[in-house]
Amino acid sequence: MESLKYTLLKIIHVSGLTFLEPVVRLCYGEEPQLQLKKIGRFIVIPSLTFLAFLVAWALIAPVYKTKSGEVPTPAVVWDAAQGVKRFHERESDKQVAYGLSGEEREASLAEVSEQRAVLNAMKANADEQVAAASEERTTLIAEEMEPLATAYETKKAEFEQAEKRREAALIVKATQIDQRDIEAKNELLAYIRGHKFQTEQERELLKTLKAEQDDVRNLTYAPLQNAMRFQTEIAEEEQYLAKKEEILSKANRSLKLEEEAARLKELKLQYAATTGPDLMPIAQQMLQIEGRMQKIVDSEYAKPWTLPMQIMRSLACVFAGFFLATAIAIPIGVLCGVSPTFMAAVTPFIALFKPVSPIVWLPISLIIVGGVITDPETHWLMVGMSNLPLIGWLQINPAFIASAITVALCSLWPTLVNTALGVASIDKDHLNVARVLRLNFFQRLTKIVIPSALPLIFAGLRISLGVGWMVLIAAELLSSSEGIGKFVWDMFNNGSSETFAQMFVVVFVVGVIGLMLDRIMIIFQRLVSFDGAPAAI
Amino acid sequence: MICTLRASLFLSALALCACLPGCSTGEGAVPLQLELTEADLAEADKLAPEDLEIATSGTKKLTLEKTDLKFGFIKLTDCAPIVIAREKGFFADEGLSVEVVAQPNWKTLLDNVISGNLDGAHMLSGQPIAATIGFGTSAHVITPFTMDLNGNGITVSNSIWEQMQQNDPALRSEQPPHPITADSLVPIVKSRLASGEKLQMGMVFPTSTHNYELRYWLAASGINPGMYTESDIGGRTDAEVELSVTPPPMMPATLEAGNIQGYCVGEPWNQQAVAKGIGVPVSTNYDIWKNNPEKVFGVTQEWANANPDTMVAVVKALIRAGKWLDETDDTGKLVNREEAARILSRSDYVGADFDIIRNSMTGYFYFQKSDKRPMPDFNVFYKHYCTYPWYSDGVWFLTQMRRWGQITEPKPAEWYDEIARKVYKPEIYLQAAQLLLDEGLIEKDEVPWDSDGYKPPTSDFIDGVKYDGHDPIGYLNSHKIGNKDSL
Repeated sequence: MESLKYTLLKIIHVSGLTFLEPVVRLCYGEEPQLQLKKIGRFIVIPSLTFLAFLVAWALIAPVYKTKSGEVPTPAVVWDAAQGVKRFHERESDKQVAYGLSGEEREASLAEVSEQRAVLNAMKANADEQVAAASEERTTLIAEEMEPLATAYETKKAEFEQAEKRREAALIVKATQIDQRDIEAKNELLAYIRGHKFQTEQERELLKTLKAEQDDVRNLTYAPLQNAMRFQTEIAEEEQYLAKKEEILSKANRSLKLEEEAARLKELKLQYAATTGPDLMPIAQQMLQIEGRMQKIVDSEYAKPWTLPMQIMRSLACVFAGFFLATAIAIPIGVLCGVSPTFMAAVTPFIALFKPVSPIVWLPISLIIVGGVITDPETHWLMVGMSNLPLIGWLQINPAFIASAITVALCSLWPTLVNTALGVASIDKDHLNVARVLRLNFFQRLTKIVIPSALPLIFAGLRISLGVGWMVLIAAELLSSSEGIGKFVWDMFNNGSSETFAQMFVVVFVVGVIGLMLDRIMIIFQRLVSFDGAPAAI
Repeated sequence: MICTLRASLFLSALALCACLPGCSTGEGAVPLQLELTEADLAEADKLAPEDLEIATSGTKKLTLEKTDLKFGFIKLTDCAPIVIAREKGFFADEGLSVEVVAQPNWKTLLDNVISGNLDGAHMLSGQPIAATIGFGTSAHVITPFTMDLNGNGITVSNSIWEQMQQNDPALRSEQPPHPITADSLVPIVKSRLASGEKLQMGMVFPTSTHNYELRYWLAASGINPGMYTESDIGGRTDAEVELSVTPPPMMPATLEAGNIQGYCVGEPWNQQAVAKGIGVPVSTNYDIWKNNPEKVFGVTQEWANANPDTMVAVVKALIRAGKWLDETDDTGKLVNREEAARILSRSDYVGADFDIIRNSMTGYFYFQKSDKRPMPDFNVFYKHYCTYPWYSDGVWFLTQMRRWGQITEPKPAEWYDEIARKVYKPEIYLQAAQLLLDEGLIEKDEVPWDSDGYKPPTSDFIDGVKYDGHDPIGYLNSHKIGNKDSL
């Protein structure tokens, strides 16, 4: 029992999840009061603040309205997340439907037909609801509009008449002025200025009245909105089921194969029965069908990228860039730390390239990668990667490589600088020992330099990964490489009422993944530290 | 220490790899017994001659060189034919498995088609032409299919609209008479110029239909939208109104931010301005030129050469999609547009709200909240021989490029015809149409079989100038503003 406790505590310590420590200790009855206090501080208070944040968000969001829509409340964001998830599930389902064969296919088809029948009944109901609610809204608006419209019209007529009257009066006044009467002329000028001012004000007033009307026209009528949301849900479900039914009954892989096989059989018999030059075209057709069947066997449902897949691809991309950065930064960093001369030689480059933004690196690497891989479809590297078992589905393309390079270029600096620092600040005694033992350069490196610099190197790597993750989203967005960045950009481009909420979904997704990456790096950092580096948040 | 570290790193890398989903198709090889056996001979002997007859007949099947395709599109409603061909199974009917991928902007889209990342894409009509003559990115891009007619609008900000209303009392009503010309904009432009600033307007791409339409609309009222020259590739030389490139989805936000005072863009971005109350569409491109060509489907010549039968299959599916989109009932109501709007509103396609897409797709257009008008021909996908790739459309775009100086030197009339033939490929279209006719999927009178590729001359422009594709030079010279040639 006690040993389990220490194992748990050790795990908690290494993983940096220190807030769990008091819970474990409490379970073992160790200083309950102190542990409860700690739980209060490290678990209850953060939970409460997060809760308070959610409540404040839910309360404040609806108040702030923009022309692009209301700021989404937590509930709306949750709905949007569900929508994103639903999209993924539907597409995966279609993919499965494409591959089904035999009885499974028939069973699935029967199920879909049943679901569609149920849905159709609901659809009529939903349409009615929308029609009714829309009518209600129209009457409601008409009622509210009527007084406003009359008020507007009367005011407008009134103002127009007043304007005409004033103008007429001014003209009368003008005709009475003597040519040399300076005073009267100046007076007239003042009058005209006043008239202009008056007209302007009246126009402003009319504008506000008009805006009031527009507001009424824009009236959001909750029953209608609800009815429409319901209708949309049903229509989307219907669309998905119809497509699935079509795949199962028409465009399914096994069905296509059967069709081709039947034709092949027909041709084969014909081939057997024929003699003479007619054999040639038949044989050619048979071979064509053979080729076609081969393609059908390999075919997949053309599934659009969905967020979970995009997240995986983003992760793959950030790690590709991160490993590249590590491979560059650590050797250079070690050299910098070992040799002050080398450090002096590369300092200008570090100083120059470090502050460059990913927005600048990306187009450069896009152009360079594009120059190396001119035809991605036949280039050996691309073809090779697409045939690899585990990463083939990632569809690695030049945009992916360019994004990874951008990540590497932006994220290698913390590692480089930390490595140099770590190597340079090795205890002189250690180096002296090495000298006494007459270790050669390589031995010195592996036995002394790197082990003692490791904690700092890993601290640098951790920052690098964080930077890489931040840079990646921007790089994907600009290079339209499939991933979270592309998802954000596509959703922004949609300009739908959901857009705002989907952005918030991404904020949480990116944040949570970034947090997890950071935790992983903390674990590594702890593993290589002798003294256990101080807990970092 | 280091050893354990290395091992743990390696293990974690392995674990990470294992988490990634695999992608093997999981299907075993199909039994393909092409070789004849005695049994086959015996069975064949039993067949009556008429059975064999049936086996030989049947329409010619295309030999697809490539079945997994990737097409790009920009989030605009006129990408509908590609999306519909995929969602309604027209691509699948041809044996094609098509992925459609949203592109961030027109430049990236074109680059992706040229570099081979995409097989083909929804393109601005001017893009294949400009690429082929080497304006901007240079590559031989062709189009066998015109995707739609019309579908754009010019929107101005609320304050410009108010000033226009002050200049022209006829605009003050709730439903002002159309077409609205830029005449009432002239005093605004002049007064801005007098105070040392220029009116700023947005369009989506230097060789986009929107650029030429906006220029046409302004120039028809005597406003100079600026000329492109050898050294001024922004097209602002002598400009009285400055035009700049903004991606379509950014238009409403840019207008709201005050960087531009008006824009010309496709749907749903004009209807969004109305819905958000930030601007007023003053004119659609239907008003500027009735039934003007808009987007095309573009591929590289190289791709078309390598995949001739696939190309025909793609065009077949697109023609059917166009026909489906324009299907009407007896009363002339477009029956499939609601469904199309529903499909397009999916977040991986256009993604805008269903109501907003429906506004223009179902034959209506909101000019103001209080001004909803029927616009049955706002989006045309099949009618008027719309999908046929007309040489005369290509020539019109070339004349616009010459008119505004994107083509820097004068060219003879034959050159226009030659370039149009290099880009527009009606032969592929007709091949596809013939197959569809044989399969009974389209009617004989829906395709201009014997056309010479030129539409009859038309004066359906906002300024009434006549356009005859056979006489590009004469057409160029009939405009007041812009380059004139004397060849």
